[in-house]
Amino acid sequence: MTTSNSASGTRHAARAARRASGPAPAVGPTNDPDESPTRSVPAISEGFETPAGKRGRGPSERNRPLWMLIPGGVLMIIVIIVPLLLGIYMSLLDLDQYTLRQWIEAPFIGIANYIEAVTQTNLFHGVWLSVSYSFIATVIAMPIGIAAAVATQNAFKGRAVVRSVFLIPYILPSFVVATVWRTMFQPGGIIDKSFHSLGADPGLFLNGPNTYWTLIFVQIWASWPFIYLLALAGLQAVDHEVHEASALDGALWWTKLRYVIFPYLKGPISLAFIIGMLNHINNFTLPFVLFGIPAPHDVELLPVLTYVTSFQSFRFGLSAAMAVVSLILIAIPLFIYLRVVKLDEAEQGGRK
Amino acid sequence: MRFGTKARLAAIATAAVFALSACGSGSSSSSSGGAVNGAGKTLDVLVGVNTAYPEQQKQWMSDTAAKFKQQTGATLKFETFTSANEELTRIQTSVVSGQGPDVYALGTTFTPTAYSTGAFKVLTDSDWNKIGGKDRFNQAALGISGPDSSHLIGVPFASRPFVMAYNKTMLKAAGIDKPATTWDGLVDQAKKMTDPAKGQYGMAIAYKDNFDPWKYIWGMSVQAGNPLVDGKTAKLDDPTVKTAYSTYFGWLTKDKVVNPASVGWSNSQALADFASGKDAYFLMTSSGSIPTLDKSPIKDQWDYALMPTVAPGQTSDKAGSNQAASILSGDNLVVASYSKNQDLALAYINLVTSKDEQLNYQKIFGDLPANADALASLDSAPHMAALTQAAKESKATPFTGAWSDIQLDLLNVVVQSIPDLSSGNVSDSALNSRISDAQNKAQQSLNRVK
Repeated sequence: MTTSNSASGTRHAARAARRASGPAPAVGPTNDPDESPTRSVPAISEGFETPAGKRGRGPSERNRPLWMLIPGGVLMIIVIIVPLLLGIYMSLLDLDQYTLRQWIEAPFIGIANYIEAVTQTNLFHGVWLSVSYSFIATVIAMPIGIAAAVATQNAFKGRAVVRSVFLIPYILPSFVVATVWRTMFQPGGIIDKSFHSLGADPGLFLNGPNTYWTLIFVQIWASWPFIYLLALAGLQAVDHEVHEASALDGALWWTKLRYVIFPYLKGPISLAFIIGMLNHINNFTLPFVLFGIPAPHDVELLPVLTYVTSFQSFRFGLSAAMAVVSLILIAIPLFIYLRVVKLDEAEQGGRK
Repeated sequence: MRFGTKARLAAIATAAVFALSACGSGSSSSSSGGAVNGAGKTLDVLVGVNTAYPEQQKQWMSDTAAKFKQQTGATLKFETFTSANEELTRIQTSVVSGQGPDVYALGTTFTPTAYSTGAFKVLTDSDWNKIGGKDRFNQAALGISGPDSSHLIGVPFASRPFVMAYNKTMLKAAGIDKPATTWDGLVDQAKKMTDPAKGQYGMAIAYKDNFDPWKYIWGMSVQAGNPLVDGKTAKLDDPTVKTAYSTYFGWLTKDKVVNPASVGWSNSQALADFASGKDAYFLMTSSGSIPTLDKSPIKDQWDYALMPTVAPGQTSDKAGSNQAASILSGDNLVVASYSKNQDLALAYINLVTSKDEQLNYQKIFGDLPANADALASLDSAPHMAALTQAAKESKATPFTGAWSDIQLDLLNVVVQSIPDLSSGNVSDSALNSRISDAQNKAQQSLNRVK
């Protein structure tokens, strides 16, 4: 307590004393002049319109300590906004191995990189492959993950072991997964031999048209546990009473699953779908290790394409332009998706 | 985008370093003539991580640092990188900020790219004198140190020439007294030793390797008189290139002298197959395969030979054409232009390219010396004859910043042809269109050269 400013000192003391007096008669509005009277009714804020709320800005909005957002905001600017702007700036430069030395002085060429990215590279092919493969892999992984979650929902002997085993593909580093599968898929490898022993000749797995399906297969193998995890989390949120109630109503297992359990899962699953999609679109390690560089035409995915442009051809400007174009191409459907599933409302789970 | 983000992070890191360097003080040191006195200074050297001999590399670093301290009084600090990309990023940030390693070890094929950044010191005659003169080095190794003899940035440090390994027992059984020196002759020999029923093949080829294929195409084209790049013109559409591809694919589809499974092999898998005694020849290998072969079931039955130097379809070396027994491969040392320790840097290069140090390095890591005397002294060592000869007859790939692109274009033709290769026939039309695609891309890269 300061001694120089006695006025404020005494005020603090008075307030402290009031608080110390505990659940005393003064439950109502305080006499403190710097606290607005509306503060006294904070309890009715959610769901109900207060009279105060009708008068323009609500009370809770007016006194929000927005400055507390500053650290987060600064971090967001440094980590996301500045690099993004730099990336966009780079995409407007003729930046390659020849101009790298003074990259800030690299010739400004406007949208020439964008024109080249769109007309002379396999960008659209890459985007199409990336998105389609991600979509197929996610859609197929989804029922597998949910089924696994439902199967391990009820306690049985050894459930902990089964649940741990389910997580193995998810825990293994991408590099390891890809290396192991590459060994199995190569000509004369175990998968090739198995097909041949069955009298089938599927052709090559690591070159040619089959590569696309090889990639999807390995991706599903590596990523279904993620769906499983989120579905499991969703299942944990189902109230016990709901199970009992539906059992009392005599619902069969399918009806129960369809009309009771799945609504609870809608939120976690929509989330899993979008995160899974983005993870797959971003996955570089898997195709890189499975197929190498240069990639076979059927798996010339977006990350691989950007990598080759940046680090094999050293065309940093062009590669930045490609990244920006693909960002836009992917952000649009993403935005629509988020609007449609309304992920923020999903927290209410099965209340609908 | 993961990569977008990475590039952005790299960019911001670069910017941050740039900002920091602006604050840094410019403490330049004036060097006195005569012996370099580096007391109190630190020389920073960036080298690639040796994944095959990590412990030995650490030992070599500390030994070298001790010797350097003794000679100059300066401290030697090593930094390492694990890939060309990491090295490029390092160069990028260092060059922009004007501080970083003083000396870089670069792969030979990366040297043109490094040269095109303009970040490295072009060595003058007096610089060369400080490191023992150009005569100190295997002259072939200087071939990729710069665009011409007066603009050299790279000092040869180690050579990894490519040769072929052969199984002496198999050759003897087939009545062949010595390995072929023409590509056509090699195929004839390979046919005699191929017996698919026994799982035995004439050649082990790594069709799916990420580097091997373009080296064959380049080699055969050069031997037929086409260097692939002529000034600013790409010459991939030349008939010699198509012959090279047809020959390379033909070993599997037409001559049937290689294991069909090799369409999925990388170099190390082909080596493993050869080491198990199933193949007569293993092409495109270097001294790095010695440890594997010396521990293999055929450890007493193998040796190295030069790869054929006569182009496919020809019977004798064309007058005037370069032998091109191997691409010029190995490591160069370059000095950063921004380095404030230029004399110390040269003193370091002088130390590690001396005959004794080079022989020591060869003993530890297997890479051949770039020092001419050291190389000559190895002639009689086991398996070394062909390697040293290949080192002397290596030829540099075209010195252009576009080469890394062209290399990729050449490789891409093979990657996209592998499904056809596996089904037994690479059609003429498909090959033509892939080659013309590669030609276009190569020409575009050359057009951008500044």
